[in-house]
Amino acid sequence: MTNKLFSPIILLLVLAFLIGPFLIIIAASLSAGETLAFPPQGLSLRWVLKVFEVESFRASFGISMFLAIGGTLAALILGIPASYALSRYKVPGAETIRTIVSSPIIVPGIIVGLALLRYFVVPFNFGILFALFLAHTALILPYAVRVVSASLNNLRSDIEEAAVLLGSSRIGAFFRVVMPNIRGGILAAFILGFVTSFNQVPVSLFLSGPGVRTLPIDMLAYMEITYDPSVAALSALLAFMSLGIVFLAERFLGFSRYV
Amino acid sequence: MFQNRAEAFALVLPAAIFAAVVFLAPVLILLSEGFRSGDSWTIQAYIDFFSQSLNQTVFLRTLKLAALVTAASAVIGYAAAFAIVNLPPKGKGRITGLVVLPLMISPVARTYAWLVILGRTGFVNKALVAVGLSDEPIRFLFTETAVFIGLLQLFLPLMIISLISALENMPRDAVPAARVLGANWLQVFTKVILPLTKEGLVIGGTLVFTGSMTAYITPAILGGSKVLMLETLLYQRVTVANDFVSASVIALILIVMAFAANLLLKRLATARNKR
Amino acid sequence: MSDARFLCLEKLTLSYGKNVAVPEMNLDIGKGELVALLGPSGCGKTTTMRAIAGLMEPSSGAIILDRVDITRTPANKRPVGLVFQSYALFPHLNVYENVAFGLKLMGIRGKKLDDKVQEGLRTVGLSKFATRKPAELSGGQQQRVSLARSMVMEPKVLLLDEPLSNLDARLRLEMRTELQRVQKESGVTMIFVTHDQVEALAMADRIIVMLDGHIEQIGTPEDIYNRPVSDFVADFVGFENVFALEGRKLKTPTGTVELSDTPPRDAKGLAWRPSMVTLGDGPFEGTIRGTSFAGGTREYLLDTPLGPIKAECDASLPAHEFGSVLKFDLPVTKAASLSRVGSL
Repeated sequence: MTNKLFSPIILLLVLAFLIGPFLIIIAASLSAGETLAFPPQGLSLRWVLKVFEVESFRASFGISMFLAIGGTLAALILGIPASYALSRYKVPGAETIRTIVSSPIIVPGIIVGLALLRYFVVPFNFGILFALFLAHTALILPYAVRVVSASLNNLRSDIEEAAVLLGSSRIGAFFRVVMPNIRGGILAAFILGFVTSFNQVPVSLFLSGPGVRTLPIDMLAYMEITYDPSVAALSALLAFMSLGIVFLAERFLGFSRYV
Repeated sequence: MFQNRAEAFALVLPAAIFAAVVFLAPVLILLSEGFRSGDSWTIQAYIDFFSQSLNQTVFLRTLKLAALVTAASAVIGYAAAFAIVNLPPKGKGRITGLVVLPLMISPVARTYAWLVILGRTGFVNKALVAVGLSDEPIRFLFTETAVFIGLLQLFLPLMIISLISALENMPRDAVPAARVLGANWLQVFTKVILPLTKEGLVIGGTLVFTGSMTAYITPAILGGSKVLMLETLLYQRVTVANDFVSASVIALILIVMAFAANLLLKRLATARNKR
Repeated sequence: MSDARFLCLEKLTLSYGKNVAVPEMNLDIGKGELVALLGPSGCGKTTTMRAIAGLMEPSSGAIILDRVDITRTPANKRPVGLVFQSYALFPHLNVYENVAFGLKLMGIRGKKLDDKVQEGLRTVGLSKFATRKPAELSGGQQQRVSLARSMVMEPKVLLLDEPLSNLDARLRLEMRTELQRVQKESGVTMIFVTHDQVEALAMADRIIVMLDGHIEQIGTPEDIYNRPVSDFVADFVGFENVFALEGRKLKTPTGTVELSDTPPRDAKGLAWRPSMVTLGDGPFEGTIRGTSFAGGTREYLLDTPLGPIKAECDASLPAHEFGSVLKFDLPVTKAASLSRVGSL
């Protein structure tokens, strides 16, 4: 049957197209030459090591980390109670609220960044970093609400009633019997939020100022000036970081169940 | 279901207010700027925008590239998803994992790789010259083809996973049943698989189309100022000319087109179904 | 000492928004009773139970437990236990921790806690399963954990929501006796909600039959089974031939029919089980439209001028043929006389 031959070929081509460039980048970053090239001109770790010496990369890495972790935490702090209310209470106007909370996923990020720059940063003299933090939080919020809601909906709501009847307060019931059971979902939301924020470009495009840039924006800027393989090396390192996080999450949580 | 309204609002309002204030309000104000001229409301900005030939080109190019990427990813996506669904369970999980992996990697890194591959001294050109197919390097970068390839690589996984879940939800016996009833493979696809997986196609199609249309990094790196798309044009208008009115116009066009694409795909799917 | 008014519902009205589910219900339950709240789905039995537990606030009326008004007492402060239909075990805690949950909240620690938990587990025969997670238990075992978890709190009233409905037939019989045993040994006042009359008749000391938010009949299983007071209860406990009376005559779809005897003076309706119908002799005639063999008996469906009639004979008697015309009687002396005929 044609299918027997056709399927593996298709899969091979598709995977080569999806994964291949990533492998090429790894190879290119191990080059000993001065410019970006594949196949690499000799093998060395010089560009990988150089990444750690570039001052602006270190600074922007810190900022991206802060945004990814801080923004995701903030989104969870806002998103968990909202998800809980939406799944356990009769909330008047629930649909409207759901739409508002998930709207950042619909609108292109570049517009969000621009709007924040124009109506928050400029008129109110907001710090760029603070604006970035708000923007990333808003961006992650829909993911947080979606993933946490999904795990709440998989959890029977009568266990909260059972806890209350056994003497727990309503809030106590949430922390004693709901939280422990949606921990996996919350962690999954955290990872998804982290990766989304860390890789995010359009939202941050307009929100950069002196000394305040996210890492991907910094990489774009660096690429315009130099054509050496350090960006390739950094790309490879970041890819490994993302993959490492996802791998650990999958290993210990079955991350893909939640996303 | 708990009935207490005050509690419900106390839980849900912080998130709703945050999204409304930090996100919805600024975006709506930005969108309204495209309709303002002094104190009156007008659509002049839209007329102006579309009367410039550069803008027309960029608008049509964005539509064209997004549509092409969507179509290509649908064709490749069906082939790949069908192959994956028919794998034994263990292989299915692994291959699906490999397909999803790129989504976790920074789009900057993923797009950057194409510079290495398609550049003047890149892998493809070296190969072409070495084999003798070409005397001098061909220019791939800063062409629509490069942007198309970059976008396809970026968004193909979304289409494949949408189609995988659609195919998995399809009744197991539908394809064998159609074969037994004498349908050839083309008929099996158009009469059985397509109608039964149209929801996955609509979801995947919307994701790919919207993603391609609003992508910034790919056209910025692989297209440059030669192959502007709406997002890169927006960025340029703001940074080069401080032109917020055009930015507002482009913003609304992007949002409207995203919704329109979703509606259109849904309409197409239901129209097919009726026949 | 027994207290007949241990739990009292006084003019209790329960509503969801504008929909009144239970209007002005009055009910007294004695200490140590095992009571069944019986009725079809939507009759308000579960709502009533949730109100007693404090999971639903009454719009008016009062709930008095052991002479204390608990109407506005929050659920977590009420001495009431509830075994949920789905058991509602905490999935992240093992059996031991599930049972210890409420005790810990009461501030019980150390040896005393351990003693109480172990005793609770012993009562339901699950000592060996202490470290298992709920997901690793069968439905019946989960039910027992849920029961133990409520019982160790020593509630004054224990409520059970459809306690047997999620179990298979064999376990159901086992659990019936188990629940009765636990109740008798502990002397706790137990109210269970069910839609299954067989279950209610088999287990309860007293049955409260509910319909459309009100109490249709209260009585011992014998009362309910033999002397239903309304057409609804009669039908519910197997009086399949139910008729309203008009004066001294039976009301049928084709007009009134004189009976062979005079019905009791205050009866508004009469009801017969299939086994009470005399077949082969009598003033009425019917055509056999269906027969089914049910082991010891044979059931017949007759098409008659009175409407369809269900009758039953000993299976050892020769079977009547399909389509044959038979004489039959509805003997007034055997009939249950109904004082209310709501839907007829």
